[in-house]
Amino acid sequence: MAEVRFENVNKRFGQTIAVKDFNLEIPDKEFVVLVGPSGCGKTTVLRLLSGLEEPDEGKIYIGQRLINNVPPRDRDIAMVFQSYALYPHMSVHDNMAFGLSLRKTPKPEIERRVKEAARILGIEELLKRKPRQLSGGQRQRVALGRAIVREPAAFLLDEPLSNLDAKLRVQTRAELSKLHQRLGTTFIYVTHDQVEAMTMATVIAVMNKGILQQVGKPQYLYERPVNVFVAGFIGSPAMNFFDVTVKGNQDGLYLDAGTFQVPVPVERDGILHKYLDKKIIFGIRPEDISSPKYIAPGIIASPIRAKVDVTELMGNEFYLHLLTGDTPFLARVDARTEARPGQDIELVFNMAKMHAFDAETEITLSPVDT
Amino acid sequence: MAFQTPFKFTLDNYSSVISQNGMGRSFLNSLIITIPGTVIPILVASFAGFAFAWMKFPGRNFLFIFLVALIVVPIQATLIPVLRLLADAHLVGTFPGIWLAHTAYGLPFAIFLLTSFFGSLPKELLESAYLDGASNMRVFFRLILPLSVPAIASLAIFQFLWVWNDLLVALVYLQTPSKAPMTLTISNLVSSYGTQWQLLTAAAFISMILPLIVFFALQRYFVEGITAGAVKG
Repeated sequence: MAEVRFENVNKRFGQTIAVKDFNLEIPDKEFVVLVGPSGCGKTTVLRLLSGLEEPDEGKIYIGQRLINNVPPRDRDIAMVFQSYALYPHMSVHDNMAFGLSLRKTPKPEIERRVKEAARILGIEELLKRKPRQLSGGQRQRVALGRAIVREPAAFLLDEPLSNLDAKLRVQTRAELSKLHQRLGTTFIYVTHDQVEAMTMATVIAVMNKGILQQVGKPQYLYERPVNVFVAGFIGSPAMNFFDVTVKGNQDGLYLDAGTFQVPVPVERDGILHKYLDKKIIFGIRPEDISSPKYIAPGIIASPIRAKVDVTELMGNEFYLHLLTGDTPFLARVDARTEARPGQDIELVFNMAKMHAFDAETEITLSPVDT
Repeated sequence: MAFQTPFKFTLDNYSSVISQNGMGRSFLNSLIITIPGTVIPILVASFAGFAFAWMKFPGRNFLFIFLVALIVVPIQATLIPVLRLLADAHLVGTFPGIWLAHTAYGLPFAIFLLTSFFGSLPKELLESAYLDGASNMRVFFRLILPLSVPAIASLAIFQFLWVWNDLLVALVYLQTPSKAPMTLTISNLVSSYGTQWQLLTAAAFISMILPLIVFFALQRYFVEGITAGAVKG
């Protein structure tokens, strides 16, 4: 059990910079999810930690130990690969025992650990089978079991759910969270799916193009994204963005999008005074847009009109794809709302949840703890 | 009519060929030449294949291309230089000499085949083993070899047949009648027994039996899907 620390880590492949100036501290026992689009460097970070790649610059620590030149097998980590990488010619039992037998662990101890891990994962009846006789979900559990028996300081998981069907994925997400609570070991998990990040992580680290964007608790990243990228990446469906100009009148500040205007609540207008008559990016999440008939209490409602383009009834919610002028945006409204494609409707923005970003740097204009 | 053939099953030709013409001895010689001549190249090529496929070292690409390009060299061009080499090493007419020769002739293709097969194994399988604590030797013996049985089986059959049926290499490098393999003995039978087809065909059939047995024995190792189940999909 130990914390993990990256200091100024850089990694290049030929001309491509995969990971740039990467600094991250992961406290012990956290479930950290590294999330970002394909090619953002998250898998590279995981492989740097595992020792399968070496950093070009920077230092990596597990606990107090500098592990830059320590070979993978001595780093006290266990890795679960996206494709499971089970040894096809060995039984499930031997797959799980392989690492332990290589380290000359005494046989009774090996048996104890394998049985315990199999029990935790519910695969006790499968111990004698070969991988090709297992389903995808079962193979994934064997891969997890192989990591668990090692009793490592940290588990490294590389998109382990991406090969499961949707229903199994939801089920396995919950099982992984439970496993983390039960084992109390640091989990470092890589995925491109922000839903997995939001549901399982205790800490999320968002990456884009090799650069760490923001680190924090899921709720914090959701409410206070540090830039447009994180704001648009976390939360599904994604946040809506509008190019607006900050204007002022006798009632205070408002945002002018051309096709609509919305007032800025007094408690949010501090820094926006500096942007008077300048362009900024205004962000609002689909769940913070409602139909005027079904408003939750406690919001600061600002009405706008828009044209309905496409509707998607989700059962408990209604997704409206809307157009204001030429700008498309999305709203999640009450399922009872009446809306048909082509119709003009009234909507309400909850300006208490507005987000504002600098138009050039795309950094948030709201206060954020770093 | 003149085309009636007396039809009688008999094993006399086999027994006369085996006992009187030293075919038994030749059969043994063929075995002594062929088995090491198959096993040694496969051993060497599999170590080489692992290194070429999975280890990084300077000159790797150049060395690999050079070795595989040697497939192009015709055996006839090497006969005299190799004979000289073997003579200097006092290996002409010895079994070790001919094992070396067959190993050398068989390696380029064997290395090519095994390097590409080993390279096709999923990288994550090996990485997982390294993370589990396996050294290169462990990975080679406990992971790569068991998974490569189809490739090694086909290579074994190929090399076995080639060496068993070889006449030229034995003729040039062995030069000792007591060590002659079956190919050599049969070709001598042709010159001494000319048109005695019954002896020649019996001898040829004896020569064919073993490769047939080997082929059918190893054939079941051509199982596809040895790696099915290791990696998703």
